Amino acid sequence: MTKPAFTEIGAKPLPLETNSCWSCGSMRAAHFCESCGKVQPPAPVDYFSFFGLPAKLTIEVPALETEFYHLSRKLHPDLSARAGSQEQEWSLEQSSLLNDAYRTLRDPIKRTQYLLRLEGVELEEQSKSATEQARATGGVKKQIVPPDLLEEVFELNMQLEELKMNKQMQEDDAALTAEIAKHKTALEEKYESLLQELQSYWKEWDALMERNPRAESPERKQISAKMVDVLNRRNYIRNLVRDVNAALEN
Amino acid sequence: MSYSDKVIDHYNNPRNVGSLDKSSTDVGTGLVGAPECGDVMKLQIKVNRETNVIEEAKFKTFGCGSAIASSSLATEWVKGKTVDEALSIKNMDIVKELSLPPVKIHCSVLAEDAIRAAIGDWKKKQEAPKPVAAEAK
Repeated sequence: MTKPAFTEIGAKPLPLETNSCWSCGSMRAAHFCESCGKVQPPAPVDYFSFFGLPAKLTIEVPALETEFYHLSRKLHPDLSARAGSQEQEWSLEQSSLLNDAYRTLRDPIKRTQYLLRLEGVELEEQSKSATEQARATGGVKKQIVPPDLLEEVFELNMQLEELKMNKQMQEDDAALTAEIAKHKTALEEKYESLLQELQSYWKEWDALMERNPRAESPERKQISAKMVDVLNRRNYIRNLVRDVNAALEN
Repeated sequence: MSYSDKVIDHYNNPRNVGSLDKSSTDVGTGLVGAPECGDVMKLQIKVNRETNVIEEAKFKTFGCGSAIASSSLATEWVKGKTVDEALSIKNMDIVKELSLPPVKIHCSVLAEDAIRAAIGDWKKKQEAPKPVAAEAK
C-alpha cells in the first residue's frame, strides 16, 4: 500500500480525530481513505492542514504546486462521475477547498494574512484598539505607521497636490515631476524590502512552531504583531504608489 | 453611501487649513495616518503659555471627505479649549456631529489621534530643557 501523498511535504502526523472511511471502515486520511482510496467528506481543517503542512510560513512553493496538481487530479469530480452522487459532491467540495487553499498558501502575503487570521488578528482592528489604549492611559497613541514614513507620505502628498494644481494651470514643472518620480522609486524599493523584513519574521515564527506549535507564549503574540506591522506599512505604501501613478498619468 | 450635509460643508469650506511654525515651542504638531485607507492627517495647535488655552489650530489632511471633515471639525473644537479639555474630545463625538456611517468611523479615530499627537508633541516641548542660549537673554 502506498503512503498518502500529502504526507510527503509536511511531517505533520494525521489528526487524532481521524474518522473511519465511510466505505471500507479503515482509518482515513484527510482526503482519501488510506486503504481503499475513496474520496472522503471534507473535514473542517485550515488550509495548512488541508495540504498536510504544519502552520509554518516558509513554504516550498514548487512542492506545494506539485502537490496541488496531484490532489487536483485525484479529487477531480469527473473521477467520481460513475460513483454515487454523494461521492461526487464530496469531490466537488474538496476540489473547491483545494483551490482556495492553494491560492491562499502560494501567495506570500495572503499566506501571512491567513495565518494571522488563524491567530485571531484582524488587521483592520489594530488602529482602533491602539486608540482605545491611548485613551485609557492618557498617553499618545502608538502609531501603526512609523513617523518617518508618515513624514514622507505627507511630503509626497503636498508635491502631488502642487503637481495637480500646475496641471490645472497648464503649467509643466519638470523638476517637480522628477522629484516625485524619485520619491516613487524610493517607495517601491521600500515596498520590496518590506517583503524581506516579513520573511525574517516568518523564520522567527517557524522556529517557534518547531519548538512548540501550541504555545500561548508572549513571543507568539510579538511575532504576529511584527508581521501585522509590516503588512500595514506595505499597504500604506501600495496605496501611495497608486496615487502617485494616477497623478503622474493624468 | 452619501455624505451628510455637515461633512459636505466641512469638505467644501474646510476651517483652519494651513500650518503653524513647527519649530516654535508653543506649537504642537500631530501627524497621523491610517493604514486602512492611506489617509494622512496633520494637525497643529498653538497654546497660550500662561493659560494653556489652545489659541490657534490648523490642519492639512490628504484623504477622503470624511477625514477632511473630521479634522476640520477637530480644529474648530479644540480652539478655545485648554489642552486638558481638548483631550476629552472623543472620536464618537465627531461621529455624532458629522453623522458618519460605520465605514467612516476610522476617520474620526484619526482626528482624535491627531489631537492627542499634537498635544503630546506640545507637552514634550514643555518638558524639554529650554535651549540655554535662548533662556539666558
